[in-house]
Amino acid sequence: MENNNKKSSVFYSYCLDPQVKFETQEEGEKVILLLRSHPFTQIGWIFKSILLFVFLFILNFFIKNLFDSGGIFVINLFLLVFILSYVLFNVINWYFNVGIITNKKIIDIDIDAILYKEINVAPLDKIQDITVKSGGYFEAIFDYGSIYSQTAGTNENVEFLDVPFPTDAVQIINKLISRRYGT
Amino acid sequence: MELKNFFALFNNQGISNTLFKIIMIVLAIFYFLYAMVVVNQVKIMKKTLQDKHNPLISFITSLQVTVSLILLILAIFLI
Repeated sequence: MENNNKKSSVFYSYCLDPQVKFETQEEGEKVILLLRSHPFTQIGWIFKSILLFVFLFILNFFIKNLFDSGGIFVINLFLLVFILSYVLFNVINWYFNVGIITNKKIIDIDIDAILYKEINVAPLDKIQDITVKSGGYFEAIFDYGSIYSQTAGTNENVEFLDVPFPTDAVQIINKLISRRYGT
Repeated sequence: MELKNFFALFNNQGISNTLFKIIMIVLAIFYFLYAMVVVNQVKIMKKTLQDKHNPLISFITSLQVTVSLILLILAIFLI
């Protein structure tokens, strides 16, 4: 896409012309932009994971008199694996929660707690209004925000939450709409 | 199991050890089930979004299943 020098940045959360395909991709449909939540919004679980590692370290001072070496080893292994699973769970949630902008439509793929999947699709010609919401210190510093698109008819409204460079993404959508439908 | 050994389970040390072992085995079973669910969900999500990093995610989730089995074996035999 011209006039956009952010080719692929912020830890794969803003990827222009990415080499990805999706389930409902049509013939001749090209993925223009792939969006994920800004990595800064993931700081909560990253911080919790670090705290859990510290907790595990401290716990060893208290349990060394309660269990034999085999028991301590197994407890440590269990807790370590659970913490790593918590990290993996959050990485998967982040990785598969994507917003996709193609030359024909915009798609919001959400997975919630790994178990629930929701895909919202809005064809470009059905998009009536696009709103960018970005407010707060961190949003301003790291340049991220949410994009809400309203669609005509019975199509679901599509939301991209906490994505990097939201105004650039909206510019891309607007260009695609005007190029394709001349509005 | 001899009757003497069976009753030995119920002295204070025996009960706590047995309880600990049961808790660890139950946790390991639940963790194994969780790991299997994650593997299946990632398989589904891989079809939904085909990206170059998908093989890495699949490998890590498969590793998680292996680790959960190791935990189950350790819980049964080591403690």
